[in-house]
Amino acid sequence: MSTEFKLLKRVLSRYSTPMTLNYPSSVVPERKYSQIPSGLRGVPERDRDKCIGCRACYFACSGRATEVIDEGNKRVIDIFLFRCTFCAHCQEACPEEAIKLTERFEVAFPRDEPGAHVSTELDLLTCERCGRPYATKRMLERTYERLMEKIDPLVKETVSNDYRKLIGYCPDCRRANSVALDTHTKKYVWLEGV
Amino acid sequence: MGIIERARVYSPWIYHLHCGGCNGCDIEILAALAPRFDVERFGIQLVPSPRHADILVATGCVPKQFVPMVKRVYSQVPEPKVVVAVGSCACGGSLFYDDSPENYAILGSVDRVIPVDVYVPGCAPKPEAIINGIVQAVMKLNHKKG
Repeated sequence: MSTEFKLLKRVLSRYSTPMTLNYPSSVVPERKYSQIPSGLRGVPERDRDKCIGCRACYFACSGRATEVIDEGNKRVIDIFLFRCTFCAHCQEACPEEAIKLTERFEVAFPRDEPGAHVSTELDLLTCERCGRPYATKRMLERTYERLMEKIDPLVKETVSNDYRKLIGYCPDCRRANSVALDTHTKKYVWLEGV
Repeated sequence: MGIIERARVYSPWIYHLHCGGCNGCDIEILAALAPRFDVERFGIQLVPSPRHADILVATGCVPKQFVPMVKRVYSQVPEPKVVVAVGSCACGGSLFYDDSPENYAILGSVDRVIPVDVYVPGCAPKPEAIINGIVQAVMKLNHKKG
């Protein structure tokens, strides 16, 4: 019995493939890679059309790989892959689902080259009063849309009017000129009594 | 290609330098050397001494206490030599990246101590990514003349 079993095993082993993967040269993916589970966290990718430049990924980044550089009228959001741990915190934090981690993991760089950065460039708005760049246009638009979705209908019109007045100014100018613009939050105290 | 260059490219021996990490990348390097990938079919072999090695594979963020050892191991590798930084810690400092204030114990990436030729980011990188990095290192080794 055991002899026959050994013989059968030996015959079958003629038709089996070796365990070793033919890694860099193989063309067939099943024989090239060991295991790529679905949802493997690889190199992050940012959709330029969806990104609003809100910096949520910058605050969520665990390895301080994400950097936000404001230069002139441009905001550059940049993930440095050398420091990225592919933890997908940015994917979780992104309100617009612009960042998505791909299944691309075969990365090796000879030096700090452009391929090692995942960067997006966005335009910044400048303050009408002091001329300082403060936020991206798309972020303000999206904030307005999200605000109007869940707001109390009692204050909807007032907030909407105030938002349109405030949208052109930087946070410092808004605070300094809140009385002149009639956007001071004190008026909501009177609304509560209604 | 002369006989020495040919021999160098067909048997790049690696020395694994573990400079203070979590052991995740080291396990992946061992997985790359194991029979599933079997890099010895390219002549890549793990050697126990840096004096025998062509490629230095460094993993982990470098603690300040370990800096002299890293320099010493690097100087012991004969020319021409190539350094591969494996893992996010060795590439850019990762979680231990600190500029202000500076970390009291950990220096950061390997390239702050020794020149690095190939970077393999990932936390931890898959064995395929490590092999890919070492293949690039062999190509660099081919261009360097000792």
